[in-house]
Amino acid sequence: MPLFALATAALVAAPLMLPMFAMTLLTEALILGLLAMSLDLMVGYTRLISFGHAAAYGLGAYTCGNLLLHTTLPLPFAVLAASLLTGVVAIGVAWVCTMAKGVSFSMLTLAFAQLLYAVAFKWTSVTGASDGLAGIPRRAGPFGITVFEGKTGFYYLVLACLLGSFLFCRALVNAPFGAVLRGIRENEAKTLSLGYNTRLYKIAVVALSFALGGLAGALYAPFAGFANTELLFWLFSGQVLIMVIVGGQGTLLGPILGAAFFMLLEHVLSAYTESWALVFGLIFIGFVMFVPQGIWGLVTRTRRARA
Amino acid sequence: MDLLPFLLTQSLNALSQAALLFFLGVGLTLIFGIMRIVNFAHGTFYMLGAFVGYSAVRFTGSFWVGLVLGPLVAGGIGVAFETGLLRRLYKRDESAFLMVTFGLTLVLGEVIRLVWGVEALQVPTPETFAGIVFLFDEPFPVYRLFLAAAGVVVAIAIWQFLERTRLGLLIRATSQNAEMVHALGVDVKLVRSAIFGIGCGLAALGGVLAAPLVTASLGMAANAIIDAFVIVIIGGMGSFLGSLLAAVLVAFVQVFGAYYFPDFALAAMYLLMLLVLVIRPGGLLGKEA
Amino acid sequence: MPHCAGLSRRRLVQSAVAASALGLPVPFRTATASDPIKIGMPVGLTGPIGGVGAQMRRACEFWAKQVNDKGGLLGRPVELVIEDTAGNPATTVRKVQEMVERDGIRVITAIVASNEALATVPKLVEWDTIFVSGDNGDGRLTGESLSPNFFRPNVSGPMGTRAVALWLRDSPLKTFYGLGMDYAWGHNSMEVFEAEAKRAGKTFLGAVFSPTGTKDFSTYITRIRQSGAQGVYLVLSGDDNAAFLSQARQYRLGDKVQLLTELVDQMTINATGDASIGMIGSSRYPFTYDIPANKAFVAAWQETYGRPPDLFEGDQYQSCVVMQAGIEKAGSLEAAKLRAALEGLEVDSIKGRVTMRACDHQGAQQGFIVKVVKHEGMAHPMPEVIATYPADRVTPPCNKMVYDD
Repeated sequence: MPLFALATAALVAAPLMLPMFAMTLLTEALILGLLAMSLDLMVGYTRLISFGHAAAYGLGAYTCGNLLLHTTLPLPFAVLAASLLTGVVAIGVAWVCTMAKGVSFSMLTLAFAQLLYAVAFKWTSVTGASDGLAGIPRRAGPFGITVFEGKTGFYYLVLACLLGSFLFCRALVNAPFGAVLRGIRENEAKTLSLGYNTRLYKIAVVALSFALGGLAGALYAPFAGFANTELLFWLFSGQVLIMVIVGGQGTLLGPILGAAFFMLLEHVLSAYTESWALVFGLIFIGFVMFVPQGIWGLVTRTRRARA
Repeated sequence: MDLLPFLLTQSLNALSQAALLFFLGVGLTLIFGIMRIVNFAHGTFYMLGAFVGYSAVRFTGSFWVGLVLGPLVAGGIGVAFETGLLRRLYKRDESAFLMVTFGLTLVLGEVIRLVWGVEALQVPTPETFAGIVFLFDEPFPVYRLFLAAAGVVVAIAIWQFLERTRLGLLIRATSQNAEMVHALGVDVKLVRSAIFGIGCGLAALGGVLAAPLVTASLGMAANAIIDAFVIVIIGGMGSFLGSLLAAVLVAFVQVFGAYYFPDFALAAMYLLMLLVLVIRPGGLLGKEA
Repeated sequence: MPHCAGLSRRRLVQSAVAASALGLPVPFRTATASDPIKIGMPVGLTGPIGGVGAQMRRACEFWAKQVNDKGGLLGRPVELVIEDTAGNPATTVRKVQEMVERDGIRVITAIVASNEALATVPKLVEWDTIFVSGDNGDGRLTGESLSPNFFRPNVSGPMGTRAVALWLRDSPLKTFYGLGMDYAWGHNSMEVFEAEAKRAGKTFLGAVFSPTGTKDFSTYITRIRQSGAQGVYLVLSGDDNAAFLSQARQYRLGDKVQLLTELVDQMTINATGDASIGMIGSSRYPFTYDIPANKAFVAAWQETYGRPPDLFEGDQYQSCVVMQAGIEKAGSLEAAKLRAALEGLEVDSIKGRVTMRACDHQGAQQGFIVKVVKHEGMAHPMPEVIATYPADRVTPPCNKMVYDD
């Protein structure tokens, strides 16, 4: 896909073209993009609507934050470790949530995420309670590599994680595993009758989704230098879901665009007017009514129209 | 305080709280159960009720006017929203509803802020119920007794509405088999508009009644929506009786839980929700979703 | 001569939006004498904290207009760069980052929520930016979380609690219970109160904490009554505060138990009406304080806004005045120079003398105890000053949140 190659090249060259403040915004947009893409695995490919994805983000952020604050683990390893831990924890959560289907599943994810929020709010020694963890450092990488401590180096780490995750997800959805997920999305009963243990597949996709969401959170902690309970709040879960939908669910790339769009739109609107929420809401309603395929739908439609 | 008076007073507290939770939950369960819509904006309609109640008291001096006006305004906006926007989305999947009600929350929330401002506004307790009664020598607010009574009255009213009126019958039928109702020549579109309007109106009713306890403020919506979800989930989506049961259960857990285990006050409701969902995924009285 | 008084961001943003959409930096010329002095304000204007944010913004706008009408600061016009954070710490950090990196802003103020402040403070040194707090009361900000670029001219939580405790020494009340919000500020202030109550020879019967967002306080009211305490110390704010006071009135709690509180603000009084009458507490800024500087301020404010200034308005205004004095003394906005100028700075302001301590950047100032009373002819009850305590008794020792005597 030439478009994809062009976009990747642009992202790689970005630090040379964009001023510092734009790079900071771009880095955060990529982190959120990773989070949204990870949710798309569940929502877009398996129709598992989660109202608790903030839990993945928060878990990743707090774990990485604690590792960077209290151990001597180098930055990339702390990030990866946090991501892995989040994925492992998710297996347990998924096991419980997949006992239910449809809306009940969604509500269970909400319940878990809110419980995590409540626990984090009270567990002062580990999470810093309502204050959160502050002053999270970007510790030097392995073998004395210090490149990730600087803004540009850190940006490339984020970009690498996003690209790597995307390639992994794409391979996954194109593989037989992905076909089963789509089967579950379209008709779970039929897929079950074909002999697939749909519950196992669902648990697997939730765990993977959480691991990648946790990766995003783990990148956020050293990026912003803090982790707090707001990252776990259900309002944020809802926003990530909106990012996926507005970007175009089931496309992997759409949600990345959706996340960037959401974040930048809010950022620019709130600098422009106090009533930014009004405009924001109207734009989303507009999307639902007039752009049902989401941003990715717009992109592919323009490409097809040109071809 | 001895045990019996303590239990009685706390139970009355819980019942008054249950009434408020019931108003929030029953509206959402109707919308949720029949239309399968996750109405993100439900908390904002609750908040709207409180602010309309404030204005009603301010300009007419009567709380009762507010009690009628709040639900009417909310119901009106709800019906307009349903006929204007939601109606076109029934053929689409749930994500469309998620996004459009999310957008409505933002828009309505900001409109409320523009109209009423950023400061919390006082809604005084109506004169008739502003007094106290003495329960075992301790003062207890009459308003809370009124709330509990109002909860019972409204519950009975809704029950009778669902059982005895034509619209109520249609609502119940639509929740079980919308196609059949349509095949029978009923305009299902009107039924849906009515349900959405009634649901929003009930949320606003809760808001007006809650206002003397908590003041009308912009933070109400976020709190209310999560409470509403919890009630609906625990009770079972679409189940009127379930939302009543869940409201009582959650209120008692909250009141007695906060007394005996204050550290878990924040987590209590979610633990309960988790427990119920694990044992009965459809909720206490719901069908399997 | 500067003629644009207190420019807000709006007009500038249009070109900035266009430029940033293309990824181009807004053209940055070297500063000249007529370049505005930009003060960054990442203030929460929407959401539950919107009321406080609106107050802080008003105070800064009032101050900026005053300054600009008199010829500006260092001969340059003051420009407030105001952006809504909706109380979200992630947004706050994002916005300050942009203010620093794109707009070259080096001084910020008007951050509303403590978790927003706590997320921002660790980055101040990296940004080479000075943060002058307007209302952030968390004790740790001048304690273990102190950053060399953080300055607090306003009253902190421990100082507010201390004032109440000092007043209690002379009061006939002997037994106390506590109700606080279940997060850092609530616990912190309650700890200070407990220690102070014991020092004053009073009995502290215990405390309970309610989660943020509690709507039904009936259980907590029961606990307070059951404790048999003569007074209850409240560490509540915002909607929770208003809800508690309204419900306490309904239970006639105030008839038996004296309500004491760390924060008395007009906004809450307006929202609860008669429910707050008789409450005694600490006021970070009482507009009734009778000194010439304050009288002039209140009169000017009344003329502009039609009502007296509230708690956060006064506190933020004083912070702006201190910030101004620091900038004038330093002759620059550079962090190193401004920091040196602010340390040890003494300013006579609307609350009396404020001394910015070099050791922990806390503004040492007097404490006020007020009682909410009904006033003839006023729509709402008002706080009346009933006691004042000097700065050295109210301000804690350096870097600490507890007192020695």
